[in-house]
This record gives sequence, structure tokens and C-alpha cells, in this order.
Amino acid sequence: MEYKKKDVGAYRLHLVKTNRFKTITFQIVFRRPIVKEEITIRNVLTQMLTQSCAKYQSKRELAIYSQELYGAYVESSNYRLGNYLNTNFFLTILNEKYTEEGMLEKSISFLHDILFSPHVEGEEFNEESFDYVIHNTKSSIESMKENTSKYSIIRLLEVLEENSPLSYRSYGYLEDLENITRHSLYEHYLEMIKNDMVDILVIGDIDFEEMTHLMKQYFDFATLKQTRRPALIECNKCRRTPKMVTETEDLNQSKLAIGCRLVKLQEYERNYPLTLFNIIFGGSSDSKLFQEVREKNSLAYTVRSVPNKLDSLLLITAGIDAKMSSKAIEIIKKQLKEMQKGHFSEEDIKKAKEYFETVVDEAMDAPGSVLESYYTMELLGTDDLETKKAKMWNVTKEEIVKVAKHVKIDTIYLLEGEEQ
Amino acid sequence: MKEIKLKQLELSVYYEKLENGLEVYLIPYSNKNNYYMTYATRYGSVTTEFVPLDKKKMVTVPNGIAHFLEHKMFEQPDGVDPFSFFNQSGTMANASTTFDNTQYLCSGTRSLEENLDYLLEYVNTPYFTDENVEKEKGIIAEEIKMYDDMPEWVMERALRECALKEHPMRIDIAGSVKDIFQITKENLYDCYHSFYQPSNMFLIVAGPQDVEKTLEVVKNRMAKIKVPTNQKIKTKKYQEPVSVAEKEKTIRMNVEIPKVGMCFKFDRTKFPMSDPYVQDLYFQMFVTLTFGITSLFREKARKEKWMSSFYTQIDDCENYKLLSLVAETNEPDVFQQEVLQALKNISITKEDVERMKKVWISSEHKMVDIVETTVLNLYDDLMKYHRIEENKMNLIKAIEKRELDKLIQKLDFENKTVVKILSKKA
Repeated sequence: MEYKKKDVGAYRLHLVKTNRFKTITFQIVFRRPIVKEEITIRNVLTQMLTQSCAKYQSKRELAIYSQELYGAYVESSNYRLGNYLNTNFFLTILNEKYTEEGMLEKSISFLHDILFSPHVEGEEFNEESFDYVIHNTKSSIESMKENTSKYSIIRLLEVLEENSPLSYRSYGYLEDLENITRHSLYEHYLEMIKNDMVDILVIGDIDFEEMTHLMKQYFDFATLKQTRRPALIECNKCRRTPKMVTETEDLNQSKLAIGCRLVKLQEYERNYPLTLFNIIFGGSSDSKLFQEVREKNSLAYTVRSVPNKLDSLLLITAGIDAKMSSKAIEIIKKQLKEMQKGHFSEEDIKKAKEYFETVVDEAMDAPGSVLESYYTMELLGTDDLETKKAKMWNVTKEEIVKVAKHVKIDTIYLLEGEEQ
Repeated sequence: MKEIKLKQLELSVYYEKLENGLEVYLIPYSNKNNYYMTYATRYGSVTTEFVPLDKKKMVTVPNGIAHFLEHKMFEQPDGVDPFSFFNQSGTMANASTTFDNTQYLCSGTRSLEENLDYLLEYVNTPYFTDENVEKEKGIIAEEIKMYDDMPEWVMERALRECALKEHPMRIDIAGSVKDIFQITKENLYDCYHSFYQPSNMFLIVAGPQDVEKTLEVVKNRMAKIKVPTNQKIKTKKYQEPVSVAEKEKTIRMNVEIPKVGMCFKFDRTKFPMSDPYVQDLYFQMFVTLTFGITSLFREKARKEKWMSSFYTQIDDCENYKLLSLVAETNEPDVFQQEVLQALKNISITKEDVERMKKVWISSEHKMVDIVETTVLNLYDDLMKYHRIEENKMNLIKAIEKRELDKLIQKLDFENKTVVKILSKKA
């Protein structure tokens, strides 16, 4: 695998050449400081752009053309990364040596059309596509509650710290949706193209020169934008006694979601000992939480912990019987204390390191994961994968225990099931 | 070992059937880090009435037992948890149960041979006690309750219940909370000894490997395992009628937007082409072009906004094909009419078929590029067709509109069921 980064004036172009894949994957990332009121309109915008464009004026025409290109579908996604809102456009094509000559350039040109020639009339997006996307976004916001695992996490973050970016709903908000017009959406589109920071990443069996030339030709953004705002949401304090919130729904199973603050962690601690702490504590099917909550006490089918490094948070989730919630909470608290007291073995640490190394090695087999690692290096200045593997092996038990002591339970949320 | 070259895909599958009946499939990769292996039995949730090995009488075991057994295979006499063993090398392990099969898998980047040896060892070491069986009931009860809160899951179950009259595919894979509380260790041993015979199982290992060495690991481990094999097990046969069991059903649960599902039950003995593999390609082509992203049906739905999300699913049950169309919609009746309208006016052009062939051919390349997907596809083929299709690319290229039209003419769209999930509040 060979990596080259080029400053192409208005954006950074990251090229990864490898013979590991039959495909070529393109990722275009737009990034801006997150504003709550912009989440919904951005969701609508990215759906609009992949719905139709000036050249292919309906989803059907657009999809037919992507099929003519041997299944060159363009997908988009939006997500919050700490203090930033990221918008991704992905295009994966089969290397043209397996299809037809000319498919590479045609596919790049197609991605260009989708981003730069939207389906607008004057300064407004096309009405038919707009109405459909609004209708769909409304439905997805309304049915958000039906996924009880996700919903319990959304509610946890809202009661944990209202008004912080931590609590923003990625689905968006109905009240913001109502205010979006075809014109305001077009203005937001121009805003994204002109003012977002842009990175373009490409991976596959490519020719560096040819690809650089093609990308420069088709992707011409105006100016280079920079911001000093850090992505990391730091945490300096935590509730002394955890806040406990219970809400009731008509469900068979209750969902427990616990938010722990990672108080005053150093960068090294966040990137290394924390990773191992989580694998041992609740990140694998051999973890303390899995063993105690599920295997020994039969309280849950799923129980796990996930660190949100950039949010200075660690989330613990479990699906349990409502009657057993206090017992489950007690066991989880006890397991965290055990970690803080250093009650885990060198063998546990070694296994966690092996686990991490496997995850990294496996990531090399997925084009998206490789691109993600280069992007986080760019955004956060993290170490590259080889350095990460080497440094992880040197993490000590003392360092993990020290991190464990910075993990503080802040808020406990229970979505309680109650047959009505 | 026999080498089976997957034509035009630059990939080979090595096959050998061992003396004890176990089928072994090995797929070497040279440009990947990851390996993925699965050890499977052709036994799943639908087999609950059978004559256990070395016994004479037909017995009925509780529903959900195949899935319960899958959970309990992780119990070992030496007290070592298989998850913990695999974790030593950072390897991910899992297992799953479907209607007609159960599989144990692991994936990782290191210690392939040790992990393979262990996978075969632990799945061949049943250890059930009254205590460990009892302990699992709470865990599985929570798993069942988790699924009971998922509208899409409730929908799929209801569609199967309405479409099928006799066949146990109507029953949930995990059974009900009441069913699983009846399971005993004796039931588990009966099922295990009957259906985990090597002759009823197969193994797939894909990833960077020396296939000769991998096969040796398998043979050495199998030589140490003394289990009955090649013994035929008599299972109950079901006479599933052509007609759907119930025409419609309405369920009330905690949903924000109504869901509606339609399930069509087709008799595949009426299909014009004889090879089931080819039948399935044509059937998939019909579904994709009639209800897929480029269909007129979907275009109309977008224009008129009568549904927000939609998916199709194809299931096989004996000689029947079940086609489910499921939508999230505030207008369930409009959705139903539109589906029927679309089926009345199917308009597929030659260009449509040729375009989809391009997409499928490219997707075959994309799929063999992912180790895990290769295994999953091979697994499906072995379960469904009992064979590896080395010529799939050419079968795709040979698809013709004329043949597709013939198939469509044979489909009876009257034989259907409709399930609605509505909010309790309304």
C-alpha cells in the first residue's frame, strides 16, 4: 500500500495505491463546525443531491445511469465528529480492467455531476424531488423511536447534557424541517460547496498521476478554508452523584443506557490505554460486562461499552428485564470499580492487545476503513496504523488503571418497558 | 482435493469429502489479511419432530431448541469459554441459527490453524448440565423480547404465519419464552447426537492459507473425534398446501408509522426452467426489475409519496417461493393497490435485463473481493443447491428476456396474504 497526499489548492487529495482490491473507492468529505439548526437541512441536502441532478432528473434516471456504469452507486452520509458535522459522498466502482475502458473517467464525471450540477431551477431545488425528500426525512424522524436501542442512547445524551453538541440528534428535528424551503436548501448547498473544508480520498489499483490529473480536472473547489476549532469536546467535570432518569414505553424489553464521562484525559490516554480499557471492560464478547451481566447473572442478551473518544464519553448499553434494572446497574458499577482497583490480569491485557491488532489488520481488507484511518490522521493528527500497533503493545497495566479512574458514571437512563 | 475454478472470477475453491462424511471447502486468498471460517450443520429450527439417533420412536422437542443448542455449544467441560479461547489471538467468534442450518464461525488475522482446530474441537464437545441449561433461559428470553420489540421482525414472522399452514417455518427460530422454558439437557443431547454428525455438516475456510496444511489440521482433529456418523435420521415431513393459510391480519403495537407487508406464495414446480439455480436467477431478475430502484413502481411511489421505506425479501420453503414486499406507509390501502397494479402491468424491456446483467456481473467481482462475503455466498449455495456453481458468470450472461417472460406468466399473484402493523394509539 502506497500513500500520497497532495495539496490541490482548495482541498487535500489523499491517494492510496494498492492491489488488494478489485474496486476503486472515492470518498469526498465536507466538514464544518456543527450547528444544531443545520443538521436537518444537511440531511435533506445530501439526500437531494443523490436523488436527481440536472442531467438525470429523477431517481430512476439517475439509478439507470449508475447501473449502466456497472453499478456505480453514489451514497451519502452525515455524522457528527466531536465539534464538527461531516458529510461524506462515496462512490465505489469496479476497476475498469474488469468492465470496459473509459468507465473510470465516466464514473468520476458522474460523481462530479451529482455534486456540481444539482437539479435546480433558478435558485431553487426541483419541487418534485424536494417534496419527496422532505416526506422521507419526516418519516425517518417520526419513526426514530421504533429503534429502541438507538432511541435510548439519543435520550441518554439529551438528559446528560442538554444544548451541548453531544446531545444533537443525527436524525434532525421536525421543527427545523418545517422551515426548509427549496430556496433555503439551495443557499445551504452553495454554503457547503463554498465554505466547507474538503478532503478527497481515493483507494484502489490506481495510477497516481492519472488520478491526480482526473481529480483536479473534475473537482475544482474555490478556496482553501481553515478553522482552528478543535474536534475534541473536552470534559473537565462530572456529576458527583449520577443523574438517574427513567422513561416508560410500551415495550417487552427495557433498554439501559449509561453515560460515563472521561474526565481530563490526555491525548495519549485517549488513544491508547482507553482502547484497551474498553476491550477488557465491555468491548468484546469476553469482557467483564459480558461475563458478569450476561453469562453469570443471565440478565441480558446484549451488553457492551463503546468509547466516544472525541466526546470524552464512554457509553454502556444493555437490553434487560425492567424488574432487573437495579441489579444490572449495581453489577455494572461494581465492574467499573474492579477495573479501577486493577482487578484484571496481564492475560486480559495481552488478549486486548491481540484483539486490537486483529482489528487493525482486518481494517486493511476494507477500502472504507483504510480511507477512514487516513482521514482521522489528517483531522486529528493521530498516529498511522503501524505506529498504533507498535505503541499499543507498550501500554502498561498502570496506565489502564489510571484511565479507569478517569471514567466516571454521570447519567443513567432507563427506557422502561411496560405492557399497556 | 478437487480444485473448482470459479470462472472469470480469479478464485478457486478446493473441495474434499472426508471419510466421516464431512464436506470441506477451502478458498485461498493471496492479497488479504483476514480469514473467515464457518463450521455448519444442516439442522435448524424447523426440525422438531424426528426419531433420535439409536432410538425407535418419533419425538417432539420444544420449538426454539436448535437455537438454544447453539448457545449451549459454548459450554465446555474444561470450563474454558470458547470466546475466551479465540480472544487470545484477537479472533472474533460467533454463531447463528436459521430455519434449516446452524453455524459456528470465527474470523481473524492470526493463528488460523490453531483456531480451526479449536473450532472443530469445541463444536464436537457437547456439555449440557441441568444448571447450565437453566442459566441460559434468562439470556435467551431477553433475546426473544428484544426481537419482539422490532416491528420489522414482528412483520416477517406474521407474514410467514399467514403464508404457511403446516410447515414449521411459521414458527420463530428462537421459539417463544414459554417454549424455551421447557427445554431439558436430554432434549439437547438428542438433537445434538442426531444432527451434529459430521456427515450432516460442512466446513468452509477462506483467507490466506496453504490449503494442504489446512486440510491436514481438519483431518487430524477429525481422527480424534469418535462420534457416530453417516447415520440417517428420520424427520417428519410436512404437506404444505399451495394456498396461503390466512388472507390478512392486523397487529397493534408500538409503532409511529404503520407498516404493511404483502407476501406472495409461488409454486416453483410450475416454473418453466428446471435447474433451481437458474430459477432463482430469473426470479431475482423479475423482483429487481419490478420492485427495485429503477422500477416504475418505485418511481410512482416517489412521485405520489405513498410510502417512505420499502424492501423486498425472498424466502424458500420446500417447493414454494415466498416473496415479501414490506413498506412503511401512512396509506396501507394505496400501497396494496399499487403493488397489484404493478403486477398487472409488468413492463420489462430487453434493455432492462441487459443492464441488470452488467450490474450482477460486476457485483460478483465485488463480492469475491471480500473474504467474508465469499464465504456467506458459498454457504447459501451449499444450503440451497447442495453445490458450488463454478459457471455463475455465464449463467448470468445467458439470462434472456424471453425466458423471463415465460416465468412471469406462470406466477399466480392471487395467492397472497397482507399483514398490517398499526399503532396502538390510533
